[in-house]
Amino acid sequence: MISGIFAIVVLDLKRFWVDRARLVAGLIQPLLYLFVLGAGIGASSRMGGGDYRRFIFPGTMGLSLLFSATFAAITIVFDRQIGFFKAVLVAPVPRSAIAFGKILAGAIQALAQGLILLPFAPLAGASMDLLQVIEMIGAMTLAAITFSTIGVAFACRFSSTTVFPIVSNAVLLPMFFLSGGLYPLRFAPAWMQVAAHLDPVAYAVDLMRGSVLGTFFFPVPLSLGALTLTITLLVWAAVRVFNRGEDDSSLGATHFHWRR
Amino acid sequence: MPPTPAETADPESAAVDVRALTKHYGKIEALRGVDLVVGRGEMFALLGPNGAGKTTLFSILATLRSPTSGSARVLGRDVVDERDAIRREMGIVFQEPAIEQRLSGRDNLMLMGLLYGLSPAGARKRASEILGQLGIADVAERLARNLSGGQRRKLELARALVTDPRVLFLDEATLGLDVDARRIFWGQIRGLADNGRTIFFTTHYMAEAEVADRIALIDAGRIVALGTPRELKTRVGGGIVSLRTDDDARARAWMRERGFVPEEGGEGITLVHPDPAAILPDLLRNLPVRVDRAEVHSPSLEDVFIKLTGRGLDTGGKP
Repeated sequence: MISGIFAIVVLDLKRFWVDRARLVAGLIQPLLYLFVLGAGIGASSRMGGGDYRRFIFPGTMGLSLLFSATFAAITIVFDRQIGFFKAVLVAPVPRSAIAFGKILAGAIQALAQGLILLPFAPLAGASMDLLQVIEMIGAMTLAAITFSTIGVAFACRFSSTTVFPIVSNAVLLPMFFLSGGLYPLRFAPAWMQVAAHLDPVAYAVDLMRGSVLGTFFFPVPLSLGALTLTITLLVWAAVRVFNRGEDDSSLGATHFHWRR
Repeated sequence: MPPTPAETADPESAAVDVRALTKHYGKIEALRGVDLVVGRGEMFALLGPNGAGKTTLFSILATLRSPTSGSARVLGRDVVDERDAIRREMGIVFQEPAIEQRLSGRDNLMLMGLLYGLSPAGARKRASEILGQLGIADVAERLARNLSGGQRRKLELARALVTDPRVLFLDEATLGLDVDARRIFWGQIRGLADNGRTIFFTTHYMAEAEVADRIALIDAGRIVALGTPRELKTRVGGGIVSLRTDDDARARAWMRERGFVPEEGGEGITLVHPDPAAILPDLLRNLPVRVDRAEVHSPSLEDVFIKLTGRGLDTGGKP
């Protein structure tokens, strides 16, 4: 089991390293939010440009983690199509190890992306002392694991690389917009506040924001509990799908059939 | 009969033991009752046209699919109940490429080693060893996508051998290779078999099946013949006259009138006769059609297949 998880993580990180230019490309989106959208909206908001950038820095961090974790999870859909994975499937490794390996590898990739974004914090006016940085990295780690689990739990149900990005956008963007990443949930309409309580991204962003600003929207234990619950439920769901694929070599996706 | 653990540990059990095996995909019956026993250390070929059930049988033995009914055991272990035990002892070369194109040869092998529980250092060492043994040490640092077809297939073989498997499954392993590369590839496989490994391979190239100790001919989900290449050929019962004419239908009709029995199907006309050389002059002189080509030869596996199924090996479906 452990060696299986390890092998999958090594595989994914090696492939990630081949495409490491993506780390730079992955900076573009959060920086756009931070310095273009942030400057525009900030100037017209009650907070003012500087405070607003500082406020949305944890939000853009959440965005970056969310998208890079999901992007990593898409490899599951690709893996079904490349031959190499057939060799993985006939190795004496439990399917759950493949699920855990994928989640862990995705979280590591997301965290790597996040750590590259982190040094931009002072530029966004979000200077932190050492303790805050440690808190922030802790929150980022939990967020990365949560988002990676979300990505894997979704990706393992898809057999098509064309449908998955569409569906993931339909899920990811609403999750991000409802998370309060770009505005204070405190001033949001009641329905949005209610919806945010059901949005794991909101808890993750709030934890990160708390470590930068020192104030939280959700009580910290609630956030930690909500994220732990999300991870547990989705890991369980993903493992179930992966195990279902044992007979048909499809990793569980219903519409995928191996050539006879 | 459910297997007991004691039975499965038997080192004397056959490498492959298949009983009354069927596999249905919805309404399609891919396998309709296959019985097959392959001994340890044997080099065994499963020969048949595309769509005959080769890959299905292969996938079941390689623990990639479950049987619909019947049983299949590899090294004495049940392919469903003892899947992981089989997986630890077998290697597979797939029809499709199964190496990660974006990684180097060594990384590909190393990852396989990790999946089979080797330590990183152990996997690395094993990767170098096996590349050396197969004479492709130079692909270690190169990305798989930059390799030639023959090198890639050797890397596939290396991947399957990383764990030193006792049974090696090869599914159309030389698809797309040129004649030279194929000859080299089979030379290496023969070497592996001579070292005591069991080799089970599928193919639709006749010449490839000839290298096997025994061959099973499969057609429409059933084994239609089983034996050594020599045994199978004697089944044809004599030599072969092959004719190409400008009107095969008329030629066949004429031959039947004269008491000859040309085989149904295949390309041109195939006639099996105990003494083909003796009847050829008569045929050439008297056939009421123009004969473009005439040939006398001892039977090939293709002739056996035509004789048994009424069809050529290449007519079963699209590749």
